[in-house]
Amino acid sequence: MKSKRIHAVFLLFSINAVLLGNQQKTIKDDLGFPFVMTSPPQRIISLAPNITEILFDLDLGEKVVGVTRYCDFPEKALKKEKIGGLVDLNLEKIIALKPDLIIGFRGNPLRIIERLRGLHLPLFVLEMGTNLETVFIVIEKIGTITQNDKKADILVESLKKRYDKTQAAIRDVQHEPRVFLSIHGTGLWTCGKGSFLNDLVGKARGVNIAGKIPRKWLHYNREQLIHDNPEVIITLSKSQTEFSKVREWIKNEAHLKGIKAVESDRIYFLDENLATRPGPRLIDALEELARILHPQFFKEER
Amino acid sequence: MKKLRLLLVLLILLVAGILISLLEGPVETNFNDLWNLIINNDSTFRTIFIDLRLSRALLAFLVGASLSLSGAILQGYFQNPMAGPFVVGVSSGASFGAVLCIYLGLNLRIIGFSVQSIFAFASGFAIVSLVYLLSQRKGVFKVETLLLTGIAAGALASALTSFMIFLKADSFEQAVFWLLGSFALSDWNQITAVLPYFFLCFIIAQWLAKDMNLLVLGDDVAQSLGCPVSGVRKTFLAISTFLAASSVSVSGIIGFVGLIVPHWIRILIGPDHRHLFLFSSLTGGIFLLYSDLLARTLLHGELPIGIITAVVGAPFFIYLLSQRK
Repeated sequence: MKSKRIHAVFLLFSINAVLLGNQQKTIKDDLGFPFVMTSPPQRIISLAPNITEILFDLDLGEKVVGVTRYCDFPEKALKKEKIGGLVDLNLEKIIALKPDLIIGFRGNPLRIIERLRGLHLPLFVLEMGTNLETVFIVIEKIGTITQNDKKADILVESLKKRYDKTQAAIRDVQHEPRVFLSIHGTGLWTCGKGSFLNDLVGKARGVNIAGKIPRKWLHYNREQLIHDNPEVIITLSKSQTEFSKVREWIKNEAHLKGIKAVESDRIYFLDENLATRPGPRLIDALEELARILHPQFFKEER
Repeated sequence: MKKLRLLLVLLILLVAGILISLLEGPVETNFNDLWNLIINNDSTFRTIFIDLRLSRALLAFLVGASLSLSGAILQGYFQNPMAGPFVVGVSSGASFGAVLCIYLGLNLRIIGFSVQSIFAFASGFAIVSLVYLLSQRKGVFKVETLLLTGIAAGALASALTSFMIFLKADSFEQAVFWLLGSFALSDWNQITAVLPYFFLCFIIAQWLAKDMNLLVLGDDVAQSLGCPVSGVRKTFLAISTFLAASSVSVSGIIGFVGLIVPHWIRILIGPDHRHLFLFSSLTGGIFLLYSDLLARTLLHGELPIGIITAVVGAPFFIYLLSQRK
């Protein structure tokens, strides 16, 4: 077993040596810390659902040894060892899995990131950015550190194609409706300027009414909501049943009755898992959102 | 004789606690694995045993010892069993300073001290001095005023801390850490940051213990018996603040340890500070060691340790209040 591994490592090393002139390549992660690339990682731990989704899309599912308890897509990810949540990572479990690559993101608390680094674990932290394009960059970066650049290129290429297609379809939009994004939680949670969801609404040719507020997530004021009078309300929910509950609630709130979206019954469902994870499925969310906001441009497909 | 027996019990509890801490955790390990590490230098579980579990157990012990010693000093200083680093506002003040430092993005070291602990110390010290000044009315020192002022000042500091965390909004995890405490991310650097100061403060406290015994008789009596009252008082206030601040800067606010442990020890072995300081430190350390063990094993995942100490400590505090005449 051991000799086999050494053999494999040796083989890879010699390939590396030919390609890179016998050099280990060091790149920087998005926090500016160096990451040494040696042989392609065989035991990967993902610290976020979107990272897990990207890894599986790059056909690296078999090499993933640990995921968070929120990593529920694709279904195979559910069978992987759980290493805690996004903010309450279990250090012992991470170490026991002997990872040769841990991919985290800026949403993991910095204190935990520092602690992992202090334990000399091979860690790469990604910045998820504030717009949809970052997804392409993140996929390319994961491709680089897993030494799977070609697959990453192919994936990004196909996503970009779909993105362009959607953009072309809504090219002639005259009126961009005012949108209120309602995020599951107590009260009127929504997203502001700094979130990629805001960017998503813009790219689907809508106007996020909270889009000028310089916060990622915020509690929207009811008065403000009535004043802004959104034409469409998009409800991010985990399931249709959850959505119907929120929809009922919105429709029955007396003070929201006068809002255009409620009057014209333009309250729609958007799968929370598609829209809140900056991974490949964000394009699904964009297509869905474009269809919801501008159904007239997608008629022939239906 | 009674003290010797207590010491023996405490030492046994300490060793047992460290051993259990080493063996318990989300990754299954048994005594053999530990044995293999120590005797055969088997490195399979080295990181888990040494870097995670041992560092955590020792840090919990050190912080417990620091907070208890701080409490023992404050109780002697204010001549009141209700005093403690949390009650007089030092802990909340120190946590405010530490969070302020993070908020401003300062991450420096000045002659071995991290700026964070300097901030924690400064704001903890400011709060305790303020509380002390406000609770003195025309030279008369009122215990009720002290407690209420301390609680008010502590609440204010906590509110400001929450406000900064809200503005920065990095994560909810940070808020929980600073307001309820945790040892989940302990490492050896934190131990080297706390250990020397604990020893230094402990030695000074032990050295001045006799003077503390005199202070209890009243400042005038102490002065006439040759105790340099004002110097001794300043030193004690400084080291008790320093102990609480250095604890808070590595583990967040952990309430009640510094209140109930020294009080209980005083009931057990009497009011002589020469023994009180040692036993309080030891017991406080053991108390937090076991509390942390509960915090990380009671549920899957971690509980903030402040919940455990409050669940044990709050009823005791209420009991104390009901005993007062």
